[in-house]
Amino acid sequence: MSELKPWLKLIYARPGRLLMGAVLMFAALLSGLGLLALSGWFITKTALVGVLLAASLPATINLYVPGGGIRFFAVSRTVSRYVERLYNHDTVLLLLTDIRVAMFHKLATAGRGQRHQLTGAQWLSRLTNDVDALDTLYLRLIAPAALAALITMLIFALAALLFDIRIAAGILLILTVAFVLATLAVYMRTARIAFRQSDQQDSLRMSVIEHLEGFAELTAAGRSDKHGAWLLRQAHQASSEQVKADSRIGWHQASSHLLINLAAVFALWVGFELFHCGVISGPVLVLLPIALLGLAEVYGMLPEAFGKLGATQASVKRLNRDCEITAPKADLRAASLPEHAALMAQDLSIQYPQHTPLIMHFNLQVKIGERVGILGRSGSGKSSLADAFSGLLGPSDGSCISLPCAYLTQTTVLFEDTLRANLLLGLPDATDAQLWRVLELVELTDRFDSEPGQLGTWLGSSGSRLSGGEARRVALARVLLSSAPLLILDEPFTGVDAATRQRITRQIDSWLEGKTVISLAHGPDALTGTDRVIQLES
Amino acid sequence: MTAPAPDQRAVRHWLSGLTSGNRRWIRGTVAAGTLAGVATIIQMVFLARIVHLGVIEQAPLSVLAPLFAGLILAIIVRAVAQGVQTHLAAKCSEQVRRAARRQIHQHWRKSGPLELGQTSAGSLAREWIDHVDALHGYFARFLPQMTLSLIVPLIILVYVVYLDWLAGTFLLLSAPLIPFFMALVGMGAEKLNQQHFNTISRLSGQFLDKVRGLTTLQLFGQTDTAAEQIQLRSDHYRRITLKTLRVAFLSSAVLEFFASVAIAVIAIYIGFGLLGYITYGPSSDLTLFSGLLILLLAPEFFQPLRTLSQHYHDRAAALGAGAEILARLGGNHSTHLATEDVSDTQNHESVTGSETVELNSVSLAFRSGYNVLNDVSLALGKGDVIALTGPSGGGKSTLLHLLAGFLTPGSGDIHLFGKPAGSFAFGWLGQSGFLVHGTWADNLRLTSPQASDVAIETALRNVGLGPLLDARKSGISSKVSEDGQGLSGGQARRLSLARIFVADYDIILLDEPTAGLDSDSEIFVLEALHKLALAGKTLIFSTHHRALLALATRVLLVSGGEVKDV
Repeated sequence: MSELKPWLKLIYARPGRLLMGAVLMFAALLSGLGLLALSGWFITKTALVGVLLAASLPATINLYVPGGGIRFFAVSRTVSRYVERLYNHDTVLLLLTDIRVAMFHKLATAGRGQRHQLTGAQWLSRLTNDVDALDTLYLRLIAPAALAALITMLIFALAALLFDIRIAAGILLILTVAFVLATLAVYMRTARIAFRQSDQQDSLRMSVIEHLEGFAELTAAGRSDKHGAWLLRQAHQASSEQVKADSRIGWHQASSHLLINLAAVFALWVGFELFHCGVISGPVLVLLPIALLGLAEVYGMLPEAFGKLGATQASVKRLNRDCEITAPKADLRAASLPEHAALMAQDLSIQYPQHTPLIMHFNLQVKIGERVGILGRSGSGKSSLADAFSGLLGPSDGSCISLPCAYLTQTTVLFEDTLRANLLLGLPDATDAQLWRVLELVELTDRFDSEPGQLGTWLGSSGSRLSGGEARRVALARVLLSSAPLLILDEPFTGVDAATRQRITRQIDSWLEGKTVISLAHGPDALTGTDRVIQLES
Repeated sequence: MTAPAPDQRAVRHWLSGLTSGNRRWIRGTVAAGTLAGVATIIQMVFLARIVHLGVIEQAPLSVLAPLFAGLILAIIVRAVAQGVQTHLAAKCSEQVRRAARRQIHQHWRKSGPLELGQTSAGSLAREWIDHVDALHGYFARFLPQMTLSLIVPLIILVYVVYLDWLAGTFLLLSAPLIPFFMALVGMGAEKLNQQHFNTISRLSGQFLDKVRGLTTLQLFGQTDTAAEQIQLRSDHYRRITLKTLRVAFLSSAVLEFFASVAIAVIAIYIGFGLLGYITYGPSSDLTLFSGLLILLLAPEFFQPLRTLSQHYHDRAAALGAGAEILARLGGNHSTHLATEDVSDTQNHESVTGSETVELNSVSLAFRSGYNVLNDVSLALGKGDVIALTGPSGGGKSTLLHLLAGFLTPGSGDIHLFGKPAGSFAFGWLGQSGFLVHGTWADNLRLTSPQASDVAIETALRNVGLGPLLDARKSGISSKVSEDGQGLSGGQARRLSLARIFVADYDIILLDEPTAGLDSDSEIFVLEALHKLALAGKTLIFSTHHRALLALATRVLLVSGGEVKDV
């Protein structure tokens, strides 16, 4: 359970809200219980008085207090339930925001390597499903369980007060078993399934994505049916497990309900003994069993919530692992850079844990204003070197210091937002004229001038409305906009044809006047203009 | 990409279509639920009888004992029926989800790789996994509960009318009002609910997008701005949602109100009746037994409806997810419908008949008025190595897709060795290689299940993956991405090429086989293609690469809707 701690702390950062939500919940539950118990008491009382009156014996009954009480509970049940739902939904949404923002900050400080290991699809499920599991943790699980325990104790006190302490203890014993059955036992009997299931779900998702990515090849080979059937079997297996968990939850719910009813039967049976001895009156005898019957509603929501706890735990474990904060690397940036140097790498080695080093004893000094090209085959550590230059990746040995830089990563990343918003990342206070100017440099003016939205053109899912080459050029434009004195361009022209590539190289040359540029590519024709070229040996 | 969202009626129709094969599970669920309801009534009868006999008639416990036994029996039957109900409901949902997944999968097959490629694999996978799972609550909870919320209250109502028709009238009066009010409020809430669903998915989409591009945001020093944006948008959304919920929750509040008031009114009516204050109607016949029983049954009368309203969000979720699935299923696959999938029996059937690849006046337009290919006729010989070249966007890939049968031409016909395009197994190499998590052998047996270990190893060596294989302890039985780093793009494409080597196809289509490759991979791909050409395979590829053009026996220029020899 310790994995829940940091998130619970986040949730408990709003104690007032949580308490208020619980109080409203308590009011709603108590009103429902009160309405039934008081009505039962009232009917029995009136029946007894009615019998006396019918026999013309003297009897009186105060109609106003119970009548008023019944009316009050009827209204308070409705109102408190409505307010409670509204208030607590608001809380859930607040928590959702809190959790998302906290997570974003956490991810922003976590090591990049950590994030790198996850595929896009895994992220998708993590960040939607796993966070969803967290934001209702308090309202679905913690508060109802605490309230159920509190109301159970209240009924115990009521039984002790009205009946006697031994009977109350007996009732408490039965209810405790019912409570455990509805909470802890459900959790224990479903946690393993839930854990396994979330793993299964992960590998299933991966397989589906592989199936889709290889769909053309599989179709061509006439194998898409066979592979699809295999996927269906995997999915079916996963849902069979879920049926098992659901059934278990159902049986626990039923048995905890059974015990609550038996507690009511027990209260009635022993109540009669007290009644016959004249210790308690008829109306009081009826009140307790009816209150116990009403308890079923209080316990009713618990089994399902606890049945999901295992899955929540699995989610949280994953979230924690993925957001793990790696030791922050010391920022040596521009600390002791020699005069006129834009970047200096000394004895730089790059090595991923448990791997042979990618780069060893690499030395490079780049002067301000210099244009350096670095050539290397894929797998030669080119991109890792660029990562190290930009400070994204800490060297395993040696040092690398540089001026502030703008870095075009090998993968093109555009946001689901307007063209303007995507470009402004490079230079937040750029004017539209500046944006058009830089678009002209990468030959995209015509492309967006014809769009009705112009700079406001929406770049769809991962910029999918653009071709690969166009998206690449938008990303390049964004880096060109940046005011950083050093630009690092990793494969700047992926997907851009040779003619366009040459024109762009020529056009950006004067724009980059005075800036230092390091471009990395697999071949000399994929570089921007260079003063000198370094070949990486693998 | 996807068709406009289908209306609710269509979604409901689709959902009810899914149940057609699973009626017995739903019937079983309803039967168990009804049994639980009847057992509840019997439980209350025993309870009221015991209280009446014990309190009013002062019966000793020995007289009450058999009644207690009956009470306990009813309680046990109720619990068992409840348990069975959930079990059957879960079973039902399982079957339905299975059917839905099969449907979506069949649609994927029909759409073909090209149209599927329009949507990210992640969102398609989400539809197949998560959206289908979102149907669970609807079939396991909402649907059976809908029937139960009619049956059980009706039984209770009839019984209460029999006990005291005036009290029955109170229930009867409030009961029709509930659906009426719920419908009134629900009509508005429905739309709002849908909106709520859309906003939530858009919002998580934006959040995910930011996370996906986190490195970029970091590089530009914009993470704090982005976090602020997430906060602002979430908050904005929360306020909008709350407005929605204020109305949406009214429907359940109405229900709650009627349930509470009905209980209160009945309790007071019975109390006054028992006191003899009401001289009108059946109240003079009220006893503690009938009075208490009516009171105990009143909440049970409303309970099924309350449960139904609790499951209302299951319905909304299913409708939302169903709408998205249906939009995909009804998606725009009519115009360029891919031809039927290849059946596995034809996998290794040798190509016979005509010895040429023929295109007869083939035209294709993606937008009306703009033909990507315009009346193209071609004849390519068996064993030829054909290079397609031309400007990007000129139609090279389109021509390859037509030959693969991933697209059907607007007019004209295509035959490969006398067979329609896509009707037999062939080699395809797309721009991105593809690999599954598994061993090298798994990856190659994916398309050629019968391949021997030797054949697999030979194929891998043919594409220059030999050194990589030698570095692994268990050769082809070792995992492809054992070191957690996976393969580089070039290596992945070579792996795909190895599949083609193993399978021994007669015709092989390749889309820019060397684009974006490092020089190492490039050399291996060129060599491999050379070997395939020597083996007499028909190769057709699009390329700009000089070495590849040199390899070709015939070079075709695809440009401006035309295909010409160079």
